[in-house]
Amino acid sequence: MTDNEATARLTITPGSRVLLWLGNQGPARSIRWLDGALKTVAKFDPDKKGRAIAFAAGAASWLDLASDRARHAGVASAGLQTDLSLDYLGWAQIVAAVSRHLGAGTILVDEASRQERWIEVAAIAELLDAAQLTHVVKLAPDKDVIHASRIAGRELQTVRVRGNAVLGVRIAGAPMDEYPTPMPSKTMQRMKLEMLGLDPVVLGHRAQPPRSHEPKKTVERIAEHLVVHLAPREAR
Amino acid sequence: MAAVLVHVDLVGERPDASSLVALAAGRHVASSWGATLYAAVVVHDPKHANVTSQHDDVAATTMPSVPGLAEAESTLARAGADKVVIAVSRGPVAPLWSVVGNAWRGVVDHLRPRLVLFGADAPSAAELGPRTAARIGARLLLRARATGIDDVELRDRDGGYARVGDGGAAVAMIGRAPAIEAVPDDCDVDVVVLAMPGSRDDRIELVTTSPAEIAHATGAVVVLGDDLATDARVTAGAQRLARLLNADLVGGAAAARSGAVGNGAVVDKTTPLSPELVVTVGGAQIDVAGATSVIKIGASPSTRIAAVDGVLAGSAETALAELARKLEAS
Repeated sequence: MTDNEATARLTITPGSRVLLWLGNQGPARSIRWLDGALKTVAKFDPDKKGRAIAFAAGAASWLDLASDRARHAGVASAGLQTDLSLDYLGWAQIVAAVSRHLGAGTILVDEASRQERWIEVAAIAELLDAAQLTHVVKLAPDKDVIHASRIAGRELQTVRVRGNAVLGVRIAGAPMDEYPTPMPSKTMQRMKLEMLGLDPVVLGHRAQPPRSHEPKKTVERIAEHLVVHLAPREAR
Repeated sequence: MAAVLVHVDLVGERPDASSLVALAAGRHVASSWGATLYAAVVVHDPKHANVTSQHDDVAATTMPSVPGLAEAESTLARAGADKVVIAVSRGPVAPLWSVVGNAWRGVVDHLRPRLVLFGADAPSAAELGPRTAARIGARLLLRARATGIDDVELRDRDGGYARVGDGGAAVAMIGRAPAIEAVPDDCDVDVVVLAMPGSRDDRIELVTTSPAEIAHATGAVVVLGDDLATDARVTAGAQRLARLLNADLVGGAAAARSGAVGNGAVVDKTTPLSPELVVTVGGAQIDVAGATSVIKIGASPSTRIAAVDGVLAGSAETALAELARKLEAS
């Protein structure tokens, strides 16, 4: 795919699109889940007519990586460069605005690359009055229906999805230890808050300071970390 | 008076254990904040009048006929609820927003709670918790716990909190709460039965349900490294920790050969795991990139996993034993 082809796809294809929300930061540990999400959204656009679009927000380096991986997967990309640090509802407002701007009726969310992403599924769905489905591990579009399998505890639920929906996916790509350093992207459609009808001052009400992350190294501190995962006594 | 609302899942005919942990947290918070504690259960009775009703508002109704409901009410009363809300849904109940979302939304809109709690491991929590928070514009706390004695507050691991003096609403997925004082078996509780308007969201259709593969686990997973798979004491320690965390114990081929893990629990470094918590024991060669939280026990200090939450180097046997003792005592 050339740069011009990618840009053209975003502008010439009418109708409802499928948007993949990649998040506001790069993957915490590996790009495997990012690649898996991109491969999944590419299924919605087998003829590569620009129906599937990956969207990322955040720092320029993350947008470059997102665009580069999208290009590898044959998926068009859009990005919003911003230094905002928002909570789940703040990012959901941005994704909802982008989906309206691009005419997307189905939205996938990469749940696995970063821990906080899955809670954005519900928030985006609420803002768009769409159906929601979290923890999807298999997904197959079939004309107007999406066949999906999701995890609910220790069960696998198979569901059919019709109409507008937000689906949180945790589908892995191939294992990948190293990948080329992405270059600044020419193919990514650049977006601004203003063009989405969003005011950064208003979004600032959903600001959330970045959290520090220092590994715990004592039994006491790790027990404190694990205690919120303890099974209720009667369930052990 | 402010309301604290706890969503309670029924598993079979009994309240889910994780929901009861949330109810205990709710009791501490409500007593400290001077709030009323509501425990709400969404149920369905195919013969109830609400099934064919056309009304658009939440309305008082008659008690549905649901097996075990009276015992569940009693359990919720003993667990500290001031009021039990029975929300009668027009359709069968399943842990999906598309199925129970309309009924649950009716409860939230009717009570307008200041704080809504879910058991972090309750079946409906992942689908209902964040959507509830988004609906009321609330702060969302994940794996929170109730702390404090007189001024009880909720805190999560990321620094989020909910306190009595806060403005705005909060929704919390509760991972841990202190036990509550024993409530007499014959305690009285107000029961409110509400007919919920709206039906299921037909955009999502549940087709089948089957057991999930371990590779798709979303809860907690303890991974036994091949280097320690033949050490009986380490294996016993890993099994003990897995029991405490209600986690799946998995391992590589060596762990399967030694009988430490079952054949269905074999993973290798290409198996993509994405659970909420992974505890690795020894030099486990696995892909944990999709895990929310990673703890390493007994691994060589030189072993590197990006964005790890905790590391206990040295003897895995000792670390597992100390950790289990701490957790059992907590």
